[in-house]
Amino acid sequence: MKSLKLLSVDPSDRGSQRCRLGPGLMAELGLSLGSPLLVTVPGGSCLCTAWPRSDLSEGFLQIDLKCSSPSLISHPPTHLNLDPEQLKPVPCLKLKGVKITVVVQSLDFKKRAPLRLVHELVKDMLKGVYVHEKYVINLEDFDTEIRFVVIEMINMDSATAGLITSKTGVEIAGIQTVRHYMRQLQDQHTAVLGGLDEVSASLKEMLELPLLYPGTLSSVGVSCPRGVLLVGPPGVGKTLLVHRVAGEVGASLVVVRGPEVVGSRPGESEESLRAVFEQARAAAEEGPCVLFLDELDSLCPRRTGSSAPENRLVAQLLTLMDGMNQSDRFLIVGATNRPDSLDPALRRPGRFDREVFIGVPTLQQRKAILSVLCMRMPVCPSVNLAELAQKTTGYVGADLSALCREAAMHAIQENSKGSGNQAVDMKHFQKALKSVRPSCLRSSLGRTDLSPVSWDQIGGLEEVKLKLRQSIEWPMRYPEAFVRLGLRRPRGVLLYGPPGCAKTTLVRAAATSSHCAFLSVSGADLYSPYVGDSEKALAQLFRQARACSPCILFLDEIDSLIGSRSNSQTPNSVQTRLLSVLLNEMDGVGLKMLERRGTEKILQAEGAEENRTQEQLECQEVCNKDVMVVAATNRPDCLDSALLRPGRLDQIMYVPPPDQQSRLAILKVCTTLMPVDADVCLEELVAKTEFYSGADLENLCKEAALLALQEENMEPSSIKHTYFIRSLSKMSPSLSARQIQTYQTLSR
Amino acid sequence: MSKPASSALHQALRKSFQTLENNHKVWKDVLDECSPLIVSLGNLAEQSRALSNVQLSNTPLRIFPDLEERLRFKLLQATDTVLGKLNEKMSSLQSVRDTFSNQVSAVSQLYEQNTSSLDLLTVTERSATFPSVADMLEWLQDAERHFRQQFLRRKTLLQLLTADNLSLLESAPERWKSLESPSAEENIADTLCKVSFFMEAQ
Amino acid sequence: MEGESGDITMTSANRKCSAVTGSGRKIKDNTADWHNLILKWEKVNEEGFSTAAKIINIRRCQSEDQLVNKSPSFSSPATAVSAATGGAAELQDACCKLQDIVNKMVAIVTKMESLMTSQRGVQDLEEFQFGPEGRKIPLFHTWNTKQFESTSCFLLDIYSQELKLKQTILQELAHTTTSDLCMVYLSCWLHQPFIHPQTRLTLEALLLETGHRPL
Repeated sequence: MKSLKLLSVDPSDRGSQRCRLGPGLMAELGLSLGSPLLVTVPGGSCLCTAWPRSDLSEGFLQIDLKCSSPSLISHPPTHLNLDPEQLKPVPCLKLKGVKITVVVQSLDFKKRAPLRLVHELVKDMLKGVYVHEKYVINLEDFDTEIRFVVIEMINMDSATAGLITSKTGVEIAGIQTVRHYMRQLQDQHTAVLGGLDEVSASLKEMLELPLLYPGTLSSVGVSCPRGVLLVGPPGVGKTLLVHRVAGEVGASLVVVRGPEVVGSRPGESEESLRAVFEQARAAAEEGPCVLFLDELDSLCPRRTGSSAPENRLVAQLLTLMDGMNQSDRFLIVGATNRPDSLDPALRRPGRFDREVFIGVPTLQQRKAILSVLCMRMPVCPSVNLAELAQKTTGYVGADLSALCREAAMHAIQENSKGSGNQAVDMKHFQKALKSVRPSCLRSSLGRTDLSPVSWDQIGGLEEVKLKLRQSIEWPMRYPEAFVRLGLRRPRGVLLYGPPGCAKTTLVRAAATSSHCAFLSVSGADLYSPYVGDSEKALAQLFRQARACSPCILFLDEIDSLIGSRSNSQTPNSVQTRLLSVLLNEMDGVGLKMLERRGTEKILQAEGAEENRTQEQLECQEVCNKDVMVVAATNRPDCLDSALLRPGRLDQIMYVPPPDQQSRLAILKVCTTLMPVDADVCLEELVAKTEFYSGADLENLCKEAALLALQEENMEPSSIKHTYFIRSLSKMSPSLSARQIQTYQTLSR
Repeated sequence: MSKPASSALHQALRKSFQTLENNHKVWKDVLDECSPLIVSLGNLAEQSRALSNVQLSNTPLRIFPDLEERLRFKLLQATDTVLGKLNEKMSSLQSVRDTFSNQVSAVSQLYEQNTSSLDLLTVTERSATFPSVADMLEWLQDAERHFRQQFLRRKTLLQLLTADNLSLLESAPERWKSLESPSAEENIADTLCKVSFFMEAQ
Repeated sequence: MEGESGDITMTSANRKCSAVTGSGRKIKDNTADWHNLILKWEKVNEEGFSTAAKIINIRRCQSEDQLVNKSPSFSSPATAVSAATGGAAELQDACCKLQDIVNKMVAIVTKMESLMTSQRGVQDLEEFQFGPEGRKIPLFHTWNTKQFESTSCFLLDIYSQELKLKQTILQELAHTTTSDLCMVYLSCWLHQPFIHPQTRLTLEALLLETGHRPL
């Protein structure tokens, strides 16, 4: 059958509930004049009465949306082509009774008009209208304060639609204002939240109790809490959480973004703040309401000096919050990521009574967030969300959504090249992981782009490698074994040894194999001309490291970074101050509240088999909350002794200069990529290179190769033994017997 | 096609249009009677407003201590009287509307009872002098809707007026005037013209 | 009004005697006079209202003229003066008319006063004839003479108050500048705040009692 073109409704038909269609089609559908008809359009459907078009032409459709599903109110269908099958006659009997919600224009009307009058008017307006359950009747054509009527329930056994006559009983379940109703419609479309279940449950309870059961609280004689402060790093979903929870509780939301209310004229900001409170008060009259102050720190900074304009704004907010009385049934929710910069007067009971901390998501939470994000994406079954969650330490909700977006973009780009597969694959996620980094590490000092190094790329040093794996890799990989044996992982590792013996490379290999975030810092990063700046930077570094733990914080050349208190000339130098910061950060009393993550979980001894893997993951999560500090130095004697005691850098490892076997291994690793001539005898080289460090050996191979190039005019087929010998003769070892002696005495 | 059903329907339609013509006249008359009442309502509100604005103790009228109360009482009483009269008018409007609504629903019912004998071709058939049944039913419904809308709008306006809400009372005459919809009135007149041949062809 | 149902049988006999004489006759005539005077007052009051409204309109026109004349400073003074004088003459006329009307009202109230005196005379006579308790059988239906007197006193009070108000308004009306106050004067004139609805009831009661209105 021919499709129908949907035209906009004729002005004279407005409010008539007519659906104009060609008489031919009407006959085909078995409709007579005014028979009820259900029209389904994309996004909803509406109930109307069939009428022939006045020009009797076929192929067009005009519908008056007097009775339609709620979604069509905000988005009426326009310029569509409809299939005739989307028109369906429905039998409509006279109704005995309906239950409705009336939506009125203004709050004033709601307050002033007696229920009897509303009932009378609505009944008159609804007479002769065909209604459908859960649909909305548009009464705007009457041009009165009554705008819509929502049909909550119709009193009929099986049918969902019917005709209202003068005998139909109309019961009003409630009266709302248009604003409130529209907001409710919108709220139904908000996104689901992942991984914030616990926080949202606690917040919800806090909102629900005073908002929905104010009587209960007052009967106990307790005043309702008025304010909740949400604290957490940026991107964890504070704003989204409030929107979501308000939607779930059914509260209307008045949002204030801090900078919005701040005006340039004196007094303007205070005025707009008062207006906002007034607005919330008005909204609270028809139901629970949440006043949400986003970015509270910009609105209410700590008061300083005497006459800063912010001071007046803070004072105004304080007065407004104190001025709220019990009858104002609205709650204030503030959100900030810098609670320290808030005015302390705000953070006391009576103003922001409670503070809810939302930390960086834990592994389980990340997995939940990812599964929510991937719900609407065509994801390959091969994608392992748990693995992805494991790899995204330190990512907050916003980062994860960016990651998913990026992965989807990669998939789209790939698909546009040809293959018709729409699904997002694990490799797309891998690619995205490279470009999207956790936002808490952005602009961090120690952020390093680490090229992966495997253990095999380091020759020799088997003993040191093993110990490093024990102290770094094992606790991350097998936490339950550690727990079982009551082992505590070391807080810090100090690698010392002569220069050039692969200390840095070892740390890189450890970071690679343990899949955790890696921050590296050197003296130049930390030093600043301002007093106190360096200490702050170091503390900040630790905070960031903790935020994305498990994390390895690598302090290279720690002797130059942090001095010793015993032998420094100036007792109050930057180095000593940095040392005290480091000592504090490594075993301070506890974490700051802001940095808390998730809720504490208690490890359980028994483990059912089926969720072993999950438990294992959780175990990892709980055990690896700390930051592993790895330091390297070649002057261990310069370090402060306090730093070396157990609980701080408790694993002290000597990285010795390579012995014969190690040197052989190193040479083997160095020459794997070189076309070495058959006559090269590595053993002979090993014998001749005592006191050579790993770096020296690498240099030797490089020199030999360069020599080969030089001698054979850029076209050497292989590097001959003689080149090695010749370059060896030109070099001298960087280590000496006395140096090694010193290190060996220290290690004892 | 059955002749009797069709002619019965035509007869009913004629009667309805007759009612429409009469009712429309009555309706207009009643509305005309309403407008001076509404104007005096506005005047009374204006007087009350002036009384509130003036501090009588600062005027020569200060020698009458209870004058303000007395005058206010008088004004309220007058307002009440006018509102009462308006309500009477509204009930006569309502009766006009109800008569017409009943008439229209009776015609619709008659059509619904005979849908089996009146196919779509019959009801949409029109000639130079006779509009089709569908058209006429539509016009009747439109007119009925107009009466209903007008009545409800005016009723809502009046019901919300109280003697103590001055600003609402003051704005009442304007709002009353804004409720008029000349286009709908014209439509009714048009309709009556269009069916004039049909009416005469008894 | 109280106890009228109980007294009806007794009064019905009195009602029959059409030719009332003496005090009864006097009271009945007085009542008719009251009724006529009040009707006349209403008529005069209406006249007065339209005149007062006219005065206020003239005043308003004048002040608007002044405003208009002030802003364009080069308008010919002669026309302005002539308009002003024309307005003034009109205003003078209207004020005189209002004065006349108030005079009429004064006359009405004076008549009311004389009615009152005659009523009091009847009362004194009755007292002289029947002693301080008055007559045993009521003159008409239920009221005794004292009640007639107090009713008259009540009505006179009301109207003399109202007259005083009208006189004040007459003096002030043409000199008032604020529009709100003008409005108050007008609504005072129209609604007659001192004549409350009870006045009408009292008059009707009087008419009923004396048999001018059929029971």
